[in-house]
Amino acid sequence: MALRVQFENNNEIGVFSKLTNAYCLVGIGGSENFYSAFEGELAENIPVVHASLAGCRIIGRMCVGNKNGLLVPSSTFDTELQHIRNALPDSVKVQRVEERLSALGNVIACNDYVALVHPDLDRETEEIIADTLKVEVFRQTIASNVLVGSYCVLSNQGGLVHPNTSIVDQEELSSLLQVPLVAGTINRGSEVVAAGLVVNDWCAFAGMDTTSTELTVVESVFRLNEAVPSNITSAMRASLIESMS
Amino acid sequence: MSLYNFKKIAVVPTAKDFIDIIFSKTQRKTPTVVHKQYKITRIRSFYTRKVKFSQQSFHDRLTQILTEFPKLDDVHPFYADLMNVLYDKDHYKLALGQINTARHLIDNVAKDYVRLMKYGDSLYRCKQLKRAALGRMATIMKRQGSNLTYLEQVRQHLARLPSIDPYTRTIIICGFPNVGKSSFINKITRADVEVQPYAFTTKSLYVGHTDYKYLRWQVIDTPGILDHSLEERNVIEMQAVTALAHLRACILYFMDLSEQCGHTLDDQVKLFESIKPLFANKPLIVVANKTDIVKLDELPKDRRAVLKEIEEDSELTVLEMSTVTDLGVMEVKTEACEKLLSYRVDQKMRTKKVDGVLNRLHVALPKARDSKVRAPCIPEAVLAKKIQTAEKKKRKLERDIEIEEGDDYVLDLNKEYKEIPEEERYDIIPEIWEGHNVADYIDPDIFNKLEELEREEEIRDETGMYVVPKIELDDTIKEIKKLALQIRHKKAIIKDEARINKQSRKPVMPRTAGAKVRDRSVSKLREDMENLGVDMSNTEEAHFTKTKPRARSVGPPVKKMRMEVSSSGSTTVTKKTPNKNRSLSRTPRNELGVKDAIMKKKLAKIAHRAIAKKVGRMGLKGEADRFIGTKMPRHLFAGKRGVGKTDRR
Repeated sequence: MALRVQFENNNEIGVFSKLTNAYCLVGIGGSENFYSAFEGELAENIPVVHASLAGCRIIGRMCVGNKNGLLVPSSTFDTELQHIRNALPDSVKVQRVEERLSALGNVIACNDYVALVHPDLDRETEEIIADTLKVEVFRQTIASNVLVGSYCVLSNQGGLVHPNTSIVDQEELSSLLQVPLVAGTINRGSEVVAAGLVVNDWCAFAGMDTTSTELTVVESVFRLNEAVPSNITSAMRASLIESMS
Repeated sequence: MSLYNFKKIAVVPTAKDFIDIIFSKTQRKTPTVVHKQYKITRIRSFYTRKVKFSQQSFHDRLTQILTEFPKLDDVHPFYADLMNVLYDKDHYKLALGQINTARHLIDNVAKDYVRLMKYGDSLYRCKQLKRAALGRMATIMKRQGSNLTYLEQVRQHLARLPSIDPYTRTIIICGFPNVGKSSFINKITRADVEVQPYAFTTKSLYVGHTDYKYLRWQVIDTPGILDHSLEERNVIEMQAVTALAHLRACILYFMDLSEQCGHTLDDQVKLFESIKPLFANKPLIVVANKTDIVKLDELPKDRRAVLKEIEEDSELTVLEMSTVTDLGVMEVKTEACEKLLSYRVDQKMRTKKVDGVLNRLHVALPKARDSKVRAPCIPEAVLAKKIQTAEKKKRKLERDIEIEEGDDYVLDLNKEYKEIPEEERYDIIPEIWEGHNVADYIDPDIFNKLEELEREEEIRDETGMYVVPKIELDDTIKEIKKLALQIRHKKAIIKDEARINKQSRKPVMPRTAGAKVRDRSVSKLREDMENLGVDMSNTEEAHFTKTKPRARSVGPPVKKMRMEVSSSGSTTVTKKTPNKNRSLSRTPRNELGVKDAIMKKKLAKIAHRAIAKKVGRMGLKGEADRFIGTKMPRHLFAGKRGVGKTDRR
């Protein structure tokens, strides 16, 4: 199931929301349209929570998390942290991280088992990630971009990476992450995939500009419907070539 | 999106309107008041301006027309050919060419009259020259009347052309009139083309769009084509031929098996054969329409034989369809799209366009690196919903509440605290309590943890982890340090002394001061007194003449007497000529008040330093570089001058 949504006429919805298998954080906007798009789809199964971090709405880029935990930057206010703790189930550990690279969402990409991190991340932060999120941590770049969190979207079933990632890199990353990977775009050709797409194991939300080919690639690689990732190389191949060149 | 947009061409006015527009613009935008008392240069420039302005306006407007209309050599051949069919290439080019000539003529007229204007010696003559110039421009434009009306018609027609993108995925429908082409496009797109039971209902190209395999497909409906030679074809048919010839598309050739269209199967096959060259290298499907009346298999043998050749061609696909019963419509669309898609992909693969995106057509599948299971984590409810077992219940969303409450709506964050009992959920927790931040004590074990940390720290302190190690110095280092200290002291003292010595307490003689002139003298006194009327005769020996001369000699040295040289060779002293001292030139300013050469040298040095300092500080080029911030301050030079001074207001 993949949906197109928009945050106050902005397609970069990955900036304003954080979706995991155990909870969903949504930035506090002017109206509830954006929140309700998530609420209607998810609220029966996982908590969908309004949140702000350091008074900002760009929570998707500031924090990182999976079903086991949530890491927030040191600039988070005490009240905000308390609100998140109250709203999330006790099984989710919320932890504040003293890290120079404070946009944790941009420098860390993770699913419930593995995480890719920025090569310059602190040793201590790396340990905290491993402990709180219960993941294996790998220092990596994606298509020679250090902001792995911006250029990579992961779930336990698949992953979408920067469109310029070479096949060799894709293979390497895929073996590290143990999920099938595809290089692609979102929001009609945007290469900052994490800004345009949030995904968990059964649901995905993409920006309103996303084309149907892009959305079908997302649905296949993350196994959101019956489609399997190999569709991209077989059934969709012709459409993809047509739309990309 | 589309590459060609002919809808933005500006309206082309008629010749009369054109002239009116330009002249009224000239009237509005140039000065209107001139008097014969004015200086003739002013009158001339007044009229020159009018002529030039009109010329420029004509020029701009005509240039706009020339640039906005598409050039037949620049547009896609499909559009070039279509425009040739619709508007006649020669006529179109000629019209634009003549507009271009008119522009040149107007420029030349203006140039001539501006030149003549220089000889205008009165207001009346200048005015007549202007009138003549504008009149000639108007005449030139009037001659373009027919061209302008033609271009306006072309513009209106161009704006209504369907926006066909010649490069995208295109399906073209063609065939005899009345075989069901428009009905088919209405079935698969929302083009809404008029369908009537007579021939040539469709008189131009129509475009519709349809979706297949996540892509958008452009479907073009063409007017019917009759079977005769190219020369005999009319404009309506030629549009269809143009589309078939220039667009790299999938072609659907429609046939009417029932022959209700008024053309026999023979004719239809013959037409197919005659326009076949247009289908070369394009995916082609022959569609047998109107199967609700007669199916392909129900055809009598003799008529079926006519189709034999087409059916046996391996490169052709023949499909049956009925737009009335919708039977086979989707099959035709799917087949057409599939054929075109594979054709286009083939082409792209061959031209190596795909190489850049090959990495995006690849799915990297993981190689297992350990035996750990990394299962997806999907709640049961979601899985149940997926297989439609769970009943769907409509949930009241936050959005609904917001709409319900309208302006009174306040976002309730505490509602989300699902794990806190309802009665405690809205409890107010203070942020600061008794001077402490509550958040700092949120952990119940905080004090134990602190104690533990302190204990650890104590142990570290005891084991001497923080003791600063003593650095041992050997003798040479000590000596060097001592010496360095001495050097530092000495340097400080030297610096202080230098500063004190630099302060001079001598009186300063300004360099601008004039030299002291001695003005008390015997002769001056005498002169003054004589001027006052005192008799100064017989005072040669008076007391006041007994002055002491200055020790230092001033004034010119005593000249040698001039000796007259006689012709005989003997020299005699002749009478003394009046003392003709050479006039002393004034002492240069830099030597005024300077005692001697040493002082002069010293002063030069001081001056040089002072100048260097100023030059360095202000970033000047040298002593002579005088910077004036604003040469003409606006407030002093702008605007009309009233009464009062011109330099201060």
